[in-house]
Amino acid sequence: MSVATATEATIGRGPVSAAKRETAYPGWFLLPAAVIYSVLFLLPTISSLYFSLTRWTLFDATFIGFDNFAQFFREPFLIKGLVNTVIYAVVTSGMKVVLGMALALLLTSRIIARGYLRSVVFFPVLVSTIGVGITFTVLMHPTNGMINEGLALLGVKGPGWLTNPNLALFSVALVDVWKGVGLATVIYIAGLVAIPRDYYEAARIDGATPWQNFWFVTLPLSRPATATVITLSFIGGLRTFDLIWAMTKGGPGFSSDTIASVIYKQYQAGFFGLSTAGNVVLFILIAILVVPLTMLLNRKRGHE
Amino acid sequence: MAGLELRQLRKSYGNVEVIKGVDLNIEHGEFVVFVGPSGCGKSTLLRMIAGLEDISGGELRIGGKVMNHVEPRDRSIAMVFQSYALYPHMTVYENVGFGLKLAKTPKDVRDQKIREAARILQMEHLLDRKPGQLSGGQRQRVAIGRAIVRQPEVFLFDEPLSNLDAALRVDTRMEIAKLHQNLGASMIYVTHDQVEAMVLADKIVVLDGGVVQQVGSPIELYQRPANLFVAGFIGSPKMNLLPVTVEAVSDGKVTISSKDLAATDIAANSSGISAGETVTLGVRPHALQISSSATLVGRVALVERLGNETNVNVELPTGGQLMAVLDGDQPLQIGHGIALGFDSSDAVIFDGEGQARHL
Repeated sequence: MSVATATEATIGRGPVSAAKRETAYPGWFLLPAAVIYSVLFLLPTISSLYFSLTRWTLFDATFIGFDNFAQFFREPFLIKGLVNTVIYAVVTSGMKVVLGMALALLLTSRIIARGYLRSVVFFPVLVSTIGVGITFTVLMHPTNGMINEGLALLGVKGPGWLTNPNLALFSVALVDVWKGVGLATVIYIAGLVAIPRDYYEAARIDGATPWQNFWFVTLPLSRPATATVITLSFIGGLRTFDLIWAMTKGGPGFSSDTIASVIYKQYQAGFFGLSTAGNVVLFILIAILVVPLTMLLNRKRGHE
Repeated sequence: MAGLELRQLRKSYGNVEVIKGVDLNIEHGEFVVFVGPSGCGKSTLLRMIAGLEDISGGELRIGGKVMNHVEPRDRSIAMVFQSYALYPHMTVYENVGFGLKLAKTPKDVRDQKIREAARILQMEHLLDRKPGQLSGGQRQRVAIGRAIVRQPEVFLFDEPLSNLDAALRVDTRMEIAKLHQNLGASMIYVTHDQVEAMVLADKIVVLDGGVVQQVGSPIELYQRPANLFVAGFIGSPKMNLLPVTVEAVSDGKVTISSKDLAATDIAANSSGISAGETVTLGVRPHALQISSSATLVGRVALVERLGNETNVNVELPTGGQLMAVLDGDQPLQIGHGIALGFDSSDAVIFDGEGQARHL
């Protein structure tokens, strides 16, 4: 719609004013931002592409072509890390969508202390990730942790949350969901309150049950919120590092390693070129997964 | 056959009563319009009938059955919302069929009903589109289509034309009138536009402050308004209302005069009115004509020449204003004197309480 208007206006006023409009600010207005962007973003991105092709000791870089990438993909735990990263991103974003929507439905209904509960659900978002990681590591201790002690009181023998190789990644994902679901909830609350009441009244006259209301009205009409939540939490999940590092350091073994933790380990070991190549791989992976995803989620709908 | 009965229907929010005991009978097939200014309770009353608002007191019957606590879907009503409330993510076809889908109507029956509604509303070519691709008038039609497929006994319209431009409003108004003739169902229609009410209604219900001011046919309301509120609300331009003094009273007749008005006899129910009392004289602008035996003399303040008629704003010697709609084109000059007369049978006397004194 706006494109059409702009085109009409351009035709109406002629090319001169169109050119004028494009330079609404003098060129040198862009300079500060352009400098900051170049130095802090553009330069590092380009140089990282270059350094990923070198053997790099921070002081000295020797060009070695694609050897780093070949080496990186030969790492035995890399495939594990790749798979883990995708699993982690899917599990956390999926759970944030479902739980965020459920919590938002609860927190937009008429319940007591609604404002207080809304802030409570958002509180973990504000806490330091490392702090959360350390706290949950203690809580999830297989024998002395509060979670398993609590389960023991009920007569259930709790699992080794972070020590069981099959479970460690999911335990960390669970903590990630606990910490991040508040943000998803807030996004959903904003989406839900924006749905006009008329839609529910029309559905009520048509005899919709609460479940049908949710399925046919709430869910489709909160789609923009869903797209935002999925995109944000999926990208967050793909590049996750801090919580993994604080809780398991990728262990036991390599069972909870993600790409970011694999890269970090290379970096710690002094393989700077190799870890830079890993970062390039992560960048490409995120682009490959997220670009089609956002295109799918934000595809033009009839009413727009 | 579903008529509606409202018995002392009340609605309050906390201590505030917004519907103050409405009594109304609506026959099957009748087109009833609720009209009144903003905040008069007309939409609330409609929503109470729909079941979207709880009823605080009184009784609502549809087809003889008490409906106070019946769910909206079981009241055999359908409602067209002011915003149309079309689901943006569904096509026209899906929107129209939504209620049937919820009711688990078999797919072939559903399809047949949707296509039938589309045929009635001449929107078969729109079925695959989404609401965002439709004009305001087309959306309006889809909203009506969604109501039609429910085959309700009573259609409820909540200011359905207020989002349309003036020309489209006139067209859609006629379409709704035709639809009423074709379907034969009862329709209740809420509007604040008295012209819409006049042209559509079999029966108009004028509401103000949550109270029914008058119920009657459009012509009845126009010719015999029950009180000052209805007199002022129905008819365009508004009825002229002049304070006058009662000179003499006899059976079925009141003689009135004022500084602007020569003594005139008006047929009225004179019981309880005494000489010397101040009452209000109501004369429609269309009832005033230039006359040699004039009773009102003033100065032309404003002229609107429309060709087929001329609207004149007249300033009276005491400063009062009169509106007259004269037949044909009248080449009047602003500032010139003008003498107007009216047939006393076209005038209405309102007593001190604002109640009309029709004979």
